[in-house]
Amino acid sequence: MPLLRAVTPASKEVDLKRRYDAVVVGSGAAGGMAAHALTSQGLDVLLLEAGKKLDIESELRSMEWPYDHPRRGQMPYSSHALSQNEYNIRKPPYAKGLAWKSVYSYVQGWGGSDYSKNMLVDEKEHPYTGTSYAWVRARALGGKTNIWGRLALRLSDYDFKAKSHDGYGEDWPISYADIEPYYDKVDLYLGISGHAEGLPQLPDSRFQRATRLNTAEVRLRQSLSRSGRVLTPYRAGVTTDGLKHNKYRSRCFGRGACARRAGGCDIHAAFDSPTGLIYPALDTGRLTLRSGSIAREVTIDPVSGKARGVAFVDAGSGRSFEARARVVVLAASTLESARLLLLSRSSRYPDGVGNSSGHVGHNFCEHVMGPSVGGFVKELVGRPRTLDDGRPGGFYIPRFRNLKDREPDFVRGYGFEGGSGTSMFPDTTQAPGFGGEYKKAIREMASATIGMGGFGEVLARYENAVDLDPEVVDKWGIPVLRFSFKFGDNEKKMCADMAANARQIFEEAGIEVVDWDGEMKTEGWSIHELGTARMGSDPKTSVLNQYQQSHDLRNLFVVDGSSHVSASCHNPTWTIMALCWRSCDYLADQLRKGQL
Amino acid sequence: MSLTRRELLRLTAAAAAAPLLPRVALPEAGAEALPAGRFFGAGEMALLDQLTETIIPADAHSGGARAAGVVAYIDARLAEYDSQIPDLRSEQESWRAGLVAVDAVAREATGKSFLEASPEQCLSILKRLAAAEGDPKTEAQRFFVALKEWTARGYYTSSIGIHDEMEYQGNSMQVEFAGIDVATLPKTEGAP
Repeated sequence: MPLLRAVTPASKEVDLKRRYDAVVVGSGAAGGMAAHALTSQGLDVLLLEAGKKLDIESELRSMEWPYDHPRRGQMPYSSHALSQNEYNIRKPPYAKGLAWKSVYSYVQGWGGSDYSKNMLVDEKEHPYTGTSYAWVRARALGGKTNIWGRLALRLSDYDFKAKSHDGYGEDWPISYADIEPYYDKVDLYLGISGHAEGLPQLPDSRFQRATRLNTAEVRLRQSLSRSGRVLTPYRAGVTTDGLKHNKYRSRCFGRGACARRAGGCDIHAAFDSPTGLIYPALDTGRLTLRSGSIAREVTIDPVSGKARGVAFVDAGSGRSFEARARVVVLAASTLESARLLLLSRSSRYPDGVGNSSGHVGHNFCEHVMGPSVGGFVKELVGRPRTLDDGRPGGFYIPRFRNLKDREPDFVRGYGFEGGSGTSMFPDTTQAPGFGGEYKKAIREMASATIGMGGFGEVLARYENAVDLDPEVVDKWGIPVLRFSFKFGDNEKKMCADMAANARQIFEEAGIEVVDWDGEMKTEGWSIHELGTARMGSDPKTSVLNQYQQSHDLRNLFVVDGSSHVSASCHNPTWTIMALCWRSCDYLADQLRKGQL
Repeated sequence: MSLTRRELLRLTAAAAAAPLLPRVALPEAGAEALPAGRFFGAGEMALLDQLTETIIPADAHSGGARAAGVVAYIDARLAEYDSQIPDLRSEQESWRAGLVAVDAVAREATGKSFLEASPEQCLSILKRLAAAEGDPKTEAQRFFVALKEWTARGYYTSSIGIHDEMEYQGNSMQVEFAGIDVATLPKTEGAP
């Protein structure tokens, strides 16, 4: 490997006797961005991460061949990954009563699961209760950004002003113009690959070199253009031209095997929070990192009623500590941040801190998945195998529903993610039979296959919520979340349209459909939980203001996806980071002015 | 909704629950070239070897399941299973029971064990099992589905499967992405 690796910077010694400028809980996209943005502003920051600081290159081993791994990439057989069927027929806590040594979410059932097992939580230690929900959680420095799907999309005013557009839900307290400069900053600081299309519903980013399309994808792009729709190369949060200001990340070398989900990228061309944000923040000398620190409560100053810091449990020793700071910034993930707010109960804040509205845990939304289509282009069957997975993603078809038109059955929209052609491990499920014909069919189909699946907006509804289970606790004795979350009629009708359209789009392009699925996946499947502490201008119906600052405690910020007012159908990571950066600039300014 | 392999095998567990299952016997000749099984006995290894090679045979393009060591892969995997975990024990048992079931089908059809049957007879037996792969009902039919899935996984993750058969070009540094640069295509007509 001709790549030089920069030495991982060490953190300063943690000093819990001092009061930091800010304590940040969580080190994923939001927490990493908070660490970057706040240290850039000259603040002294303590970052608490519940999981371990892993040697991520040796975890991921991105270029290891399957046959060089004793189990061909599978995790140890004493571990079990939950299946769609188990989510269908059982209720949480899913690990209850199972004899396996470790039980993981469905994500661990994907190929290459041995490479991500140390990042994801064991359901045995981290139970939850209530309605069916596939809750994928990472506890490791960087969180889920270590293994994310990389699709990096902007939201537009179709999202920020969705209520004004269709009357449903609430508008965000910001518009696209407010966040656009911060999207630009995220693009330039972290790198994003894509092709400008000039679409109002999917604003273009400051793109680096786009990846390329193969023959089947170009055919689909051209077919779609006849109906005014667009297929664009995957907009990946991947630096394809490199980043001169970041010594921890390499540009993408199209090595392929990116589809080895959940695979990650061991040269960090794909954004991850540690190399993209946290290591550079450590290099400023203003960031202190404490891993193995499980936050359990926002502590309150009894005199002022403001946040005093964060109480946490040391994962190794089980001992309790408090980290004190002038400002508390929660970035523990949509559901963990809501849990933390609800856990922070006191006589002053009996329903949890920052929860005078009663909206913490509510308006929980996400993306619905399931409808998908697979097929092949007849003319490409038997052609020589092409290199199609030497890129961070295939294609994206942006939302086309409820823009200028108005669907009678549902509001909002969906997009499709897809790809075509060869990967390291071919699709062996479509060829029937066995023997020479079977083998030949797999070989000859490899370059001709194409598939895609939809991601649709799930409406934010007050009744979709999480709260604390009154009885069940996790390994550390901390009360767990209880889900009350169900897809509604709008999601069902949208998925029916999604499924019908997926097939129609393929058929119109002359793609032979061999695999079609109209069924919705279990709630949670998209791993895009959002909206449990939404922003808004009215403190009675929202938890945070437009700067992700608590309406109740002005030195408490929640900078992750929990702040989102609606889910959009666009993958949230880039928006999480842009919003967080904007809020942290505000935070630093207010702190300097003595307003916090 | 499609069942996963593990769920499928779990459904066969009832048949596999009997503790004293008959074991496939080693035929008089053959199987010398096979490594000793860690989980399977010599007779089972020989039968699996024959079955996997029939599912993915060597051809003019590349080696088959035998050359790719698929049987050793399946055997090693099952040997590592912790039989204290009920799901894993029933999966282990279902593999043993599946091999017995295939042999029973062979005896019923030809009067001989699968390994003693002629190549034509073997093919015809597997064709009968494969015909039901979309909706397997008998133990032997369900076993075929699992066996095919694991043969494919073992084969296409092997060096022969990846490099010789699929001629996979990735997992190496590339100067430029393969494919067509969208900027060189005619502008998307009618885009909003």
